[in-house]
Amino acid sequence: MSVVQKNTSETTKWFLPGILVGLGITFKHLAKNLLNQKKMMTLNYPEQKYEYSPRFKGNHILTVKKDGSLRCTACMLCATNCPAECITIVASEHEDPSVEKYPIKYEIDMLRCVFCGFCEEACPVDAVRMGPEWQTPGVNGANFNYGIEQLAYRPQLKGGMMSLVDDEERHKYGI
Amino acid sequence: MPKCTINGKEVVVKDGATIIEAMHGGGAYETSDEPQKPGEKKQWAEGKVAHYCWHPGLSVAGVCRLCFVEIEGNPRLQIACNTVVTEGMKINNTSQKVKDSAKWGLDFHLINHPLDCPICDQAGECGLQEQYMEFGKYNPEMAEKKVKKHKVVDLGPTVVLDSERCILCSRCVRFTEEVSKTNELGIFNRGDRSEIGTFDDKKLDNKYSLNTVDICPVGALTSKDFRFRQRVWYLKDAETVCNGCSAGCNVRAYFNKEGFFRVKPVYNEEVNGYWMCDEGRDLYKFVNRENRYLKARRRISGGAWDEMLPGAGAKDAAGVLKSSGDAVALVLTGQYTVEEYESIVGNFVNEFKSKKIYHWNNNPKTENDFDGLLIRGDKNPNTKGLFKVLEKHGVKTSWSELEAGLGNGSIKSVVVAGPENLQFFPDMADKVKTLSKAQNVIWLQSPRFAGLDELKNNVWIIPMKSYVEKDGTFINHAGLEQKFKRVTTVVSEALTLTEAGDLLAGHHLLIKPALNTLVEAERPEDRVMLENRKKNEFVFRRGEL
Repeated sequence: MSVVQKNTSETTKWFLPGILVGLGITFKHLAKNLLNQKKMMTLNYPEQKYEYSPRFKGNHILTVKKDGSLRCTACMLCATNCPAECITIVASEHEDPSVEKYPIKYEIDMLRCVFCGFCEEACPVDAVRMGPEWQTPGVNGANFNYGIEQLAYRPQLKGGMMSLVDDEERHKYGI
Repeated sequence: MPKCTINGKEVVVKDGATIIEAMHGGGAYETSDEPQKPGEKKQWAEGKVAHYCWHPGLSVAGVCRLCFVEIEGNPRLQIACNTVVTEGMKINNTSQKVKDSAKWGLDFHLINHPLDCPICDQAGECGLQEQYMEFGKYNPEMAEKKVKKHKVVDLGPTVVLDSERCILCSRCVRFTEEVSKTNELGIFNRGDRSEIGTFDDKKLDNKYSLNTVDICPVGALTSKDFRFRQRVWYLKDAETVCNGCSAGCNVRAYFNKEGFFRVKPVYNEEVNGYWMCDEGRDLYKFVNRENRYLKARRRISGGAWDEMLPGAGAKDAAGVLKSSGDAVALVLTGQYTVEEYESIVGNFVNEFKSKKIYHWNNNPKTENDFDGLLIRGDKNPNTKGLFKVLEKHGVKTSWSELEAGLGNGSIKSVVVAGPENLQFFPDMADKVKTLSKAQNVIWLQSPRFAGLDELKNNVWIIPMKSYVEKDGTFINHAGLEQKFKRVTTVVSEALTLTEAGDLLAGHHLLIKPALNTLVEAERPEDRVMLENRKKNEFVFRRGEL
């Protein structure tokens, strides 16, 4: 058990001047903000939103190829590199002979994710990126295990974000 | 026996041994003139040689040109795999010249090798990756386009070929030529258009085909069964003995928390050499949790099934055995370890005073078959061990005696140590039918079998541990005793035959849950345990303000 001793020293009797100084600062800011509302430091959050730089590491995006299918090759390097172990991938064989391996399940547990960006760094084909979205609201019991549908084709992405790495172009260069 | 110097160390080598054999321990002795005793740890010259095409179990091809070593007095480098050691030879494989040759040899191998590592199953255990990290690390100087070849070629029921990844080491071709002697594979075309393939779309279909996947140093040949299921760096491995047949091949099982994924052979000169059969590689499947009994089940005279913990189930069944007097029989399959047989047979002979112990022979017709390489007709790992234990306890019985006993009612209760790998027990349903004539059936079984659910008499089904979950000994067809250790635990509450036997005999038994905790003896020396850790110097005290 911790015992908190009451501070009975002489200096504690001179609290009133300290309070008045503090209140002075508060009223100064109040007056400033009322007179010049544009320079106010705070935001009215749900109505007003702060815009971060486009390089902000927010919610993940799975990129797509030109035909709209997933770019991910299920190499599991992101899952291996993930320090929070929040990525689950199940790989499978593709019917299309030009695509060998693809994920039939790609899940990110958003509540475990620490948004470090290591997945993005590990990805050899630019398939997973950290997007600019930073709000992940959900009511009690919401599903924060985002699957392929949510990561690649959520409405904000308007049909999917195109990957920078294209197999056909790489083959043209003889890679 | 010639004496030579490898990297400044004098080594005595077997007659006719090549340099690479001497360096990898296949033919080298210590500096003393005496040959090594069997079982002694071999010490060979330090520093291994980079190689792809050489495999100790196959003939020498000398095509990869990676194993160059420097020999004193010889102006040019020589390949270690095809140069026989001579008296007084001075060999060096640590010089800059040797490293450079490996580096540029590797550059040639990688000219047409695709950038498939992310989707290649071999990544993580790939020869090219390993040697590149060791010797390569260059910027490629090849400006030409890569030659495109066939990808995802279906070679047969077990193997997929990607000929772009192939470095044409010809190990698989030599394997089908020399070991399996089926000659399916060959190298077609010339120059950089050379490809591995089968003639006229013939299938690579033999009982040892998956060995080609093991010996492939790159990801050109991949196993259909393992393909894309796990990345290899997620797997742990441990050595054990295959329980597929009486050959008793030494194998390494690969697993992680999701279950078992594959089995590969481990070199043992006396048993299996470098190889194992395809059948044996399927045997990890029945071990996985989804195929196993997890709870003991009881059904009294055709009523509803009760579920209970395995230990409780065995204790429950012990009561019935006690009341049956000497009308108790034990049926054993050749699937358990010698230690377990010893314990349960001892319990039966001493506690129940019963010698009604019967051997369930699942393959009486093919028992002595042998295919000339590894596969034996006796599909039990430990039939020899079982006979040895039965002989020791003076048990001499035959199956017809059991059938007669069941018919005339002199056997009321039967304890059955059921099979583990049901695929080798085609007579399972028949035997269940025969044994169900007894009043009480206590079935000790590890994988699920639907036929057991249909039994209408008093039945106890008690889950058993499989061969990867226990320590023990198997005695193979040649009488060789092989001890093996537990790999991991899949169903921790399941019993071993020893535990089940003790419980059925009415002994009290403290079953410790087998956890995958660090065993003190296996603890690495540099590991700091919690109690020895340096205490935190900063201590936060809440009371101080």
